[in-house]
Amino acid sequence: MTRADFIVTLGAVALLPFLYVASWGNGARGEQARILVGGKEYARVPLYKAQRLEIPGALGVSVLEIKDGKIRFIASPCRGKQCVHSGWLALSGEFAACLPNRISVHVAGREPRYDAVNF
Amino acid sequence: MPALTATREDLRIAWLAALAVTVHIAESALPSPMPGVKPGLANVITLVVLLRYGLAAAAWVALLRVFAGSLLLGTFLSPTFMLSLAGTLASLCALGAGYGLGRLWPAARLSVLGLSVLAALAHMAGQFWLAYAWFIPHPGLFYLLPVLMTAAVIFGVLSGIISGAMLKRLEI
Amino acid sequence: MCAFPRYSLLATSYCLILLLATSSCSKQEASLYQEQILALGALVDISISGVEPERAQQAASTVADDFNRIHRTWHAWQESELTRINARLPGGAAFPVQADLMPLMVRAQELSRQSEGLFNPAIGKLIALWGFHSDEPIGPPPDPGAVAALVAQCPGMDDLRLENNFVQSRNPAVQLDFGAIGQGYAVDAAIEHLRKLGIENAIVNASGDIRVIGKHGARPWRIGIRNPRAPGILASIEMQGDESIVTSGTYERFFEYGGQRYHHIIDPRNGYPAQGLTSVTVLHRDAVTADAASTALLVAGLKDWRRIARAMGVEQAMVIDEQGTVYMNAALARRIRFEITPAPKIEIIDSP
Repeated sequence: MTRADFIVTLGAVALLPFLYVASWGNGARGEQARILVGGKEYARVPLYKAQRLEIPGALGVSVLEIKDGKIRFIASPCRGKQCVHSGWLALSGEFAACLPNRISVHVAGREPRYDAVNF
Repeated sequence: MPALTATREDLRIAWLAALAVTVHIAESALPSPMPGVKPGLANVITLVVLLRYGLAAAAWVALLRVFAGSLLLGTFLSPTFMLSLAGTLASLCALGAGYGLGRLWPAARLSVLGLSVLAALAHMAGQFWLAYAWFIPHPGLFYLLPVLMTAAVIFGVLSGIISGAMLKRLEI
Repeated sequence: MCAFPRYSLLATSYCLILLLATSSCSKQEASLYQEQILALGALVDISISGVEPERAQQAASTVADDFNRIHRTWHAWQESELTRINARLPGGAAFPVQADLMPLMVRAQELSRQSEGLFNPAIGKLIALWGFHSDEPIGPPPDPGAVAALVAQCPGMDDLRLENNFVQSRNPAVQLDFGAIGQGYAVDAAIEHLRKLGIENAIVNASGDIRVIGKHGARPWRIGIRNPRAPGILASIEMQGDESIVTSGTYERFFEYGGQRYHHIIDPRNGYPAQGLTSVTVLHRDAVTADAASTALLVAGLKDWRRIARAMGVEQAMVIDEQGTVYMNAALARRIRFEITPAPKIEIIDSP
C-alpha cells in the first residue's frame, strides 16, 4: 500500500459522512407544494422543476416562482405584499399566504418536519 | 499478407476478458440488496489487466465485458446496459487519470488498492449521474446516494485486496 | 434465474422510491387528516390524527362552522353581535345579551385584571383611531391630541358590569375589541368541540395560534416557531397532551407612514404601539390565556414581562427584543430547540 493509496482511501471514507449529511441532513426539504385558493386545493406542483405559475385568486393573479427546490410569491395583487415578503419556502411545513387574494402555498415533503407553525 | 497470429499476451488478455464476462454474468444473477449495489468483482479483472498489460488493454477488456455481457444477458441497450456502460466509462477515466498521474509523478503512484477505490467511486458516480440525468430526475434518488457510495468504498477496498492477491499469483 | 437481470435498475429504483415515500407515512402515523379553512380573516389549519378520514373530515367541517360563527359574532368593525353591544355600551344602561356571549367577556375581564390592564380589550376606540379596524391598515398615524384624549378617559374592563346575561358600562369610552384573544378563544372552542366528537389527537392552528391535544401517532406533535426577523423557522418544540402555543409579534399587522413603522399592539397606558419587544411566545394549557398573555407581555416590555407572566399564571414564555436577543425562562429553554445557525443570543431566566 503506497502513501497515495492511503490518501485516496482515507479521502473516500472521509467523503461519506459529508454525503450523508448533504443528502439526508435536510431530509425535511419539501418535495412538492400545495397551492390552495379559497381553502380548496388548486394544484400540487413538484419543487424540482423550475417554473413560474400564475394563480387566479379573489383579487387577481398571484405569480409564484419555483426554483432549486424552493417556491415563493413574486407578485400578488394585495396591498401589504406580506406574501412576497415571506420569501423562499423550502422546508416541508413552511407556508406563505396572500390572504386578500385567498391564495396559500404549503410545502410538503415525505414527512413534514413540523405539524404546525406558530407565528 | 501478414498472418494474423495471436501472441501469448493476446491470449492471456482474451482469457481474462472471457473471465470478466463470466464474472459479470454470474454477478448479475446475485440478488442485490439495493439496485446499483454490486460487489463489482468484474472490476478485479479490469484492474489486473491494467497493471499487467496497461490502460489500452484494460479499456478493451472492460468495454468488451459490458457489451458481451449485456448481449448474453439480453439487456443490450436497456437501461441496465446504459448504466453499466456509464459506470465503466467513468471508472476507466478515473483509472486512466490515477494510473497516468502515478507514471508522471512517482510520489503519487497508486497501488492496486488505491486504483480500485478510485475506480469503484467513479463507477458508482457515473452510474448515479446517468440514472439521475436520464432516467429518474427525482430528488428522492439522492436519498440513495450516500448508501450507494458507502457500498462503493467497501467493495472498492475488497476488490483492491482481491486484485492484489490475484496479481501476486499471476507473477509466480 | 435468467429473469432476474431483467429487473432493470430503473424499475427497482422506482419501487424503492415509492417504498421510501410510503413507508414513512404508513409507519405509525397511520392517518393524518388536514384541512384548511379561511375564517376570522385568517387561515385555520386543522390536523386530525388517528381516526378514519370520513370522520376527521366531518369533525373538521363542524370546526370550520364554529370558526365562522365566532368570526361573525365577534367581528370588531363589520356588523356583528359585538358591534351591536358596542353601540349600546356608551348609553350606560344595563342591557341583555345572549347567554353564549358572556363567557368570552367574563374571561377577558379576568385576564385583563391579572395582566394589570396591559391586556385591555376595552380600548376599541384607540384601535379604530389607529386605523387597525381595516383589513389592510394604511395609516397615517392619528393626531397625538386625539390619542391623549382617549387615553385620559381610561377605558378598562373593570368599567364593565357583567351579570346574569346583562352588560353595563360605567365608562362611555369603553368599546370592546377582542382581536387579541378572538383566535385563541376560537381555537379553544374548536378543540373542545373536537373532543366532544371523540377526536383525541388534533392540532388547531389559527394563523399561528396553536392548541394541540394528544399526539401524532407514536410521537408528539412537532411545532415550528417562525423567525420574526427573517423568513424561515427560528425554533422547534414538541408538544403533546393538551397545550397551546401563541406568539404575538409587532410584524403581524402594521402600516408604514413617513418612513416609520406602526404596529397593531397598542399600549393602553399611552395609546401608542408598544415599544421594546418584537415578539412574545407563550405556552399555556388554553389558547385564550396564552393569547391574552402574549399581548400583555409584549406591552409589558423587557422590564416587566416576567412579573406579568407570573400574575397571569404563565410558566413558559419567550420574548425577543429589537436587537434579536431571546429571553426565556428555564422551563421553556429545556424543551425548545433553535433551528437557525448561528443561534441567536439567548438569556435564560430562572424563575418565570
